Amino acid sequence: MERKKDQSILRIRDLNIWYGDKQILSTLSFDVQQKQVTAFIGPTNCGKSTLVRCINRLSDFTPNFRSTGEIFFKGSPLDGSTDTTALRKQIGMVFRKPTLFRGSIYENVAYGARISGVHQSVHLDTIVEKNLHKTGLWGEVENILDETPEQLSTGQQQLLCIARALAVEPEVLIFDEPCGELDPIETVKIETLVRELKNDCTLIFATNKRRQAARVSDVAGFLYCGELVEFGATKKIFTNPQDDRTEQYVTGRLG
Amino acid sequence: MSTLLNDVYIVLLMSFLAILLGIVCAFYLEEWLPKTNWIRRLIESLLSVLTGIPSLLYGIVAIRIFFTDAGALKAIRIFPIPQNAAAAPLHDDSMLLYAGAATFIVMVMPVTIKTTQDALRSVGTPIREVTYALGASQWQVLTRQVVPLALKQILAGGCRAMSRAFATTALLLGIYTWHYTSEPKEMSNRFILFLGMALFLSILSSTLTEMDNSSN
Repeated sequence: MERKKDQSILRIRDLNIWYGDKQILSTLSFDVQQKQVTAFIGPTNCGKSTLVRCINRLSDFTPNFRSTGEIFFKGSPLDGSTDTTALRKQIGMVFRKPTLFRGSIYENVAYGARISGVHQSVHLDTIVEKNLHKTGLWGEVENILDETPEQLSTGQQQLLCIARALAVEPEVLIFDEPCGELDPIETVKIETLVRELKNDCTLIFATNKRRQAARVSDVAGFLYCGELVEFGATKKIFTNPQDDRTEQYVTGRLG
Repeated sequence: MSTLLNDVYIVLLMSFLAILLGIVCAFYLEEWLPKTNWIRRLIESLLSVLTGIPSLLYGIVAIRIFFTDAGALKAIRIFPIPQNAAAAPLHDDSMLLYAGAATFIVMVMPVTIKTTQDALRSVGTPIREVTYALGASQWQVLTRQVVPLALKQILAGGCRAMSRAFATTALLLGIYTWHYTSEPKEMSNRFILFLGMALFLSILSSTLTEMDNSSN
């Protein structure tokens, strides 16, 4: 138990979030361990996105956003004085809908490195190739690196988004329903990739597909109406849930 | 003829400055002030009132402010009078242009702010969020994503505002000439020139919009 505590990269304590007067999340506390996949499941509108957006501080752009409680990243608290730019370089994010930049496939992957100040083409080439290899996209796009990503399928675009996020070399990578727009075969690819990626970084995975969470995650949390009903090892959540609502949800009777 | 072109240059310069100022204001409102800021909401509602007013009304109000009934310029010394004013045959007209330029700024700025704001909004949240999530600073998001994507629309908006201003000025020059002066020929040249500029700018604006649509 003590050994586990040392590995927690993200600690959240008593997190409350409001949009205006509406409370979205109430008193959340949990730890995210290093090099594990932590999944958050729950029905739509239960606050999964709000929670993960809070971790990389994209929530700063939400009007009327208000929060109390503490988030510790690698032991240091995140507050108003945090350098969010540096934080987001360490905590990457992949969104539901693949949004790619204008410009070539190469430029999309190289983007993160460029804004961090890498400009030598030798380095950029290495970064692009390495990350496309990681996502398994290299073989498919090797010959069309200079063309626009519009010709790729949605699944390939999402893989490209992951490659782009990985190119910044984040320590934590957040997936916010990455398969929401994909067909089952593409979904399998993403899931396989997620399981491989946990050797390199810590993953947080928000999804409303319960079986998907069961397949990819080591630790899972069930969010319901802004409340973290249950948080623990995925096996336990899915086979022996402690809370009635969790059991109802994982068996498909709730949500 | 050279006075004629000078007038156009002055108007071009003034409206260019007004547009630049308008774009800066729009960036400040849209990108820096939070959406819930009451100053922003106040300014935005004022702007929609200002953009809703037909531009000719601005000119008529301006005529009331800047000129006496006899057609002589009121002595408002906010603009420098040219050195050789006494020698120039059209010295009243050059003052007229300064007065016109001031009206320009009031007329052009709200329109530019509005169109620039729309252009910035059209870039959309997802692309901004993706860029921020990669660790880009606000400045990098603006210069690398928002401005390149919105540039054509911003320019088109600027041209449209200028075209509107030129057209209104042309009409007012016409009214002014026919009402107050006995030099119809000189003024009608200017009238045609200003209308021509308005037409040119409006075509330019439509072309830019069309280019923007086809590239997306």
